[in-house]
Amino acid sequence: MAAASPSVFLLMVNGQVESAQGLEEGISQITSKSQDVRRVLVWNFPIDVTFKSTNPYGWPQIVLSVYGPDVFGNDVVRGYGAVHVPFSPGRHKRTIPMFVPESTSKLQKFTSWFMGRRPEYTDPKVVAQGEGREVTRVRSQGFVTLLFNVVTKDMRKLGYDTGPVDTQGLQGPSLP
Amino acid sequence: MAEVHVIGQIMGATGFSESSLFCKWGIHTGAAWKLLSGVREGQTQVDTPQIGDMAYWSHPIDLHFATKGLQGWPRLHLQVWSQDSFGRCQLAGYGFCHVPSSPGTHHLDCPTWRPLGSWREQLARAFVGGGPQLLHADTIYSGADRYRLHTAAGGTVHLEIGLLLRHFDRYGVEC
Repeated sequence: MAAASPSVFLLMVNGQVESAQGLEEGISQITSKSQDVRRVLVWNFPIDVTFKSTNPYGWPQIVLSVYGPDVFGNDVVRGYGAVHVPFSPGRHKRTIPMFVPESTSKLQKFTSWFMGRRPEYTDPKVVAQGEGREVTRVRSQGFVTLLFNVVTKDMRKLGYDTGPVDTQGLQGPSLP
Repeated sequence: MAEVHVIGQIMGATGFSESSLFCKWGIHTGAAWKLLSGVREGQTQVDTPQIGDMAYWSHPIDLHFATKGLQGWPRLHLQVWSQDSFGRCQLAGYGFCHVPSSPGTHHLDCPTWRPLGSWREQLARAFVGGGPQLLHADTIYSGADRYRLHTAAGGTVHLEIGLLLRHFDRYGVEC
């Protein structure tokens, strides 16, 4: 009895959002701004998701939006970032830069700082797209580290070659 | 037909003397290649880095090509521009690199160059801005007629490009 050839491949991702460093006014264990001490934020947030598809176009991306309190206690956006989920099976570590939209006029920068309403994207998915970014000005600040474990099913049977597994011998979760 | 997926990001740029940078990018392929989905060119956001000197764009690239032949393997060409506080744009560098040909994730560092003009134009560029630009953008990725150019080095653009190939082994292509 012949098995039906697969038409769909599966992608399973799990891991955690590990740490962030260098975010402006981020919550850190040490409050003084000394140059020689690392300021690190640890979330250790779990991700566990499975996708299925017939076509790798539109490969999933993780979009992160980081918020934090400002001087007046309002929650303002501290950074957006996005990265494609790696497509070769194995363990992968990705450190992504975060950026914040910036207004062009100095008056608007002051009023948004004062009122606690910073410019933000109405739909954070804009960060995952390339179109429509020509007119935006941003400021990049900070990084977030993510750790992925990727498992795929039937990609090879459908003819896809994802290349060598690039784990680089990663150990368990660790701070950068 | 064999298929190629180019999935990755233009991470950012280092080594440029100006700080507010954006990048116009495009992918040029030969006649045997057909773009099935994705946009072939685009422009990133303008980034002003706060920490360090690397401008980060994190601009996603997701392209799906079908091909009948290996000639004209896709080339990614870049133009890096800087934007000042008045909104004027000035060329910072041109660069190109071939999309990698082996499947998997690759880090690419693409060096850039910019045309120098006469000493008058260089002086004007230092004081007023502007400076010579290429008339035809295809000089960035083709070798013809380059001997006329006198250029200086710009910074480096960093990309992380992942490549997914399909059915290449059916046609006996090893990569």
